[in-house]
Amino acid sequence: MELGAVFLLLVGGLALIVPSVLTTLAKMRGKETSPPTVRPILAFQDMPVETGNAAERGGAVHIALGNGSLYGEDMTLSLAGLQVLESLVDGAVAYRASPIVTVGDPTLLPLAQDVLRRAYERSNVAELFDPRMVRFVASSPVAYAAGAGHLVSAEQITANMMVGSFGAEVSLIADAGLRRALPQLAAAAAPGAIGALYPATDHLAMGEELYAAGAQITEEPRYLHGLTAQDILRMVVIVAIAGSAVMALLGG
Amino acid sequence: MASFIKRWIPFILFAALPGIVVLLAYLVPAPALLYFRDRLVDGAVIVAAFAFLLGLFNLLRVHGGQVLRRRQGWFYSLVLVAAMLAFWIPPAFRDLPWGMAVQETLGLLDRMLFEHIISPLGASLAALVVFTLILAAFRLLRTRRSAGSAVFLLVVAVVLLGGAPLIGLEWLTGLRDWIVHVFGMAGMRGLLLGVALGTVITALRVFIASERPYSEL
Repeated sequence: MELGAVFLLLVGGLALIVPSVLTTLAKMRGKETSPPTVRPILAFQDMPVETGNAAERGGAVHIALGNGSLYGEDMTLSLAGLQVLESLVDGAVAYRASPIVTVGDPTLLPLAQDVLRRAYERSNVAELFDPRMVRFVASSPVAYAAGAGHLVSAEQITANMMVGSFGAEVSLIADAGLRRALPQLAAAAAPGAIGALYPATDHLAMGEELYAAGAQITEEPRYLHGLTAQDILRMVVIVAIAGSAVMALLGG
Repeated sequence: MASFIKRWIPFILFAALPGIVVLLAYLVPAPALLYFRDRLVDGAVIVAAFAFLLGLFNLLRVHGGQVLRRRQGWFYSLVLVAAMLAFWIPPAFRDLPWGMAVQETLGLLDRMLFEHIISPLGASLAALVVFTLILAAFRLLRTRRSAGSAVFLLVVAVVLLGGAPLIGLEWLTGLRDWIVHVFGMAGMRGLLLGVALGTVITALRVFIASERPYSEL
């Protein structure tokens, strides 16, 4: 087995073990254990608030999930986007503020529709669910951004959220939101998208912060413990980088 | 028992087992594992192709509805539906036994649609991105006057001007390279490492059914 495979197994093992141990310990200690705290991330903190505000203004929230698919390397970014959607949609349905979700890859379409449908069923208003609330725009990133941007300009949108896999073209969506002075919240991992979104909104979650969405919005233990595991893994990687640098220095 | 079957059997059959086989094949490249991995990946490609059909129907339903109800912007929806059908005809009918001349004509039409319509439109939209980025940077000056914004704009200006062949500003090229290769690269590596860790955790949560975007937990 190669060294990379051993490292992946080690990281994977830690990622599996840490949340399980933490969850078990939390259950054993009962109420005395306080859940891990999460550093406030403005973008996710304000998403439920903006959803409520959008409902008060009588409009819809636009949630752009980007061009990520469910089979490519950006799969987990799409899942993080779906996590955000799942966390927000109950509130939106409760306020009767139907969200409009746009996707740039059709594999995400049935999943996003299912997330919405389940939220309407949970609120006992399944008859209000309309599959057209989730829209496939285009599979090319630039065409997707242009189409989603047009939707933000033309429809009665009162808040614009962009969470998922984007490139610099996301500025077309953000620009449409800026022109209408909409509140904008975003989370992106690609450096190009971060650069494009930074001037458009001060509610921007960058890089790995995207994976903290579920923990921040729902505060569910499964997400919180996953974040703890991520922190421990980060420390392992930092130690490995520093150790290999010192070894290279001594070896050189 | 029924709830166990409903809850776990689909997960084991369609999520955990294929996931473990594909991952194991990357870690231990045994011929049997590689065979099953390739079949599973082929299956995923077929499912993704069907998802494109779903996407097509979704587009037709959303924009067809806009046209039929004459809602605001219905004309754009009509153009979209018409273009979608027009672009679909040549590749769909090209390989039918029409005879050489018709097949060649349809092939030529297909190529022309891509070369003369889709490519230039894509390039135009991509060019538009530059303008929206610059506009956003200017708006930043007005809406968010902070040290962070000033640094951001300064770096953007140096990187843009340093990349342009301007006489008298050659010294900016060195500064640009330093910013890109030292600060830019360090930041990008940090981002990528963080994203990679998040990816591992999320993927493993899907593996152990802690994250199930396809069903209620």
